Amino acid sequence: MIRFFKVILKNIIQGPSTIKYPFEDSPAPEKLRGKIVHNADACVACHLCEYVCAGGAIKMQESEDHQGIDFVVWHDTCTFCGLCEYYCPTKAIHLTNDYHTAHVQADKYNYVEKTFVKKQPCICCGEPMVPISPAMVEQIYGQEGDIRGLSKMCPQCRRKILWKGGVSKS
Amino acid sequence: MAEFLQSIVKRSPWIYRINAGSCNGCDVEMATTALIPRYDVERLGCRYCGSPKHADIVLISGPVTAVVREKVLRVYDEIPNPKVVVAVGICPISGGVFRESYSIASQLDAYIPVDVNVPGCPPRPQAIIDGIAMAIEIWRKKF
Repeated sequence: MIRFFKVILKNIIQGPSTIKYPFEDSPAPEKLRGKIVHNADACVACHLCEYVCAGGAIKMQESEDHQGIDFVVWHDTCTFCGLCEYYCPTKAIHLTNDYHTAHVQADKYNYVEKTFVKKQPCICCGEPMVPISPAMVEQIYGQEGDIRGLSKMCPQCRRKILWKGGVSKS
Repeated sequence: MAEFLQSIVKRSPWIYRINAGSCNGCDVEMATTALIPRYDVERLGCRYCGSPKHADIVLISGPVTAVVREKVLRVYDEIPNPKVVVAVGICPISGGVFRESYSIASQLDAYIPVDVNVPGCPPRPQAIIDGIAMAIEIWRKKF
């Protein structure tokens, strides 16, 4: 009997457990997988995210003027599985904890995250290429960084330079 | 009299839910929004009803498979006007992971005029509450 009153008293003090969501904001857990954000500066356009995407939501295509690569995530077919974030070598893709996904039908095909990965000319031949991000440079060339400027060259020029200079045995 | 009744009706849209070949993930989340005290969608004046003839807002989940399509359309026709359709989950919106499968001809809005989309796999209960709140606003404008 006393235990019964304890429960009642506890519930009166605690108040209702219902969240007041549409009228008040409801915080999401830090690691919740919600809307995708893409950092175009860190992206190396390796197309790995497009390959692993379960829902076929990610499309990477060369832009019409060949000046860069259009990156598009259509949230209406994204399963928020997080494979793209897991496999991204430079961590350019991030799943935020923003879960406010409801939208009206008119926005259906505009409900996308769209970025543009700009190409830069190769310092040897001038051919436009996607620049390698600092994170990738550190992964390839180690802590001392890119001394010979190889990260600013297109793959062909890089191969030529390495062939002429031989493989350094540092 | 009719106006008086309409002014009362506007305060409580009833919800009906159709499973169009869903994997049950979105259905569980929809049940969660209604039944668990934490989310409690009945605060918005909504109530889940068992018959399509009492419904005002329809929540449809699932990719609309070839087998279930005719049945979905038949149930949809039984719902009285004005009605609002909410597509819950990515499957009815775009086909999701089942897109281009052998048993799925097209997504939901090829058959039924959809008003609100709630993407997610499954969407969070809060997102479904968001979608229902949007649907109620659209529904009130339809009178």
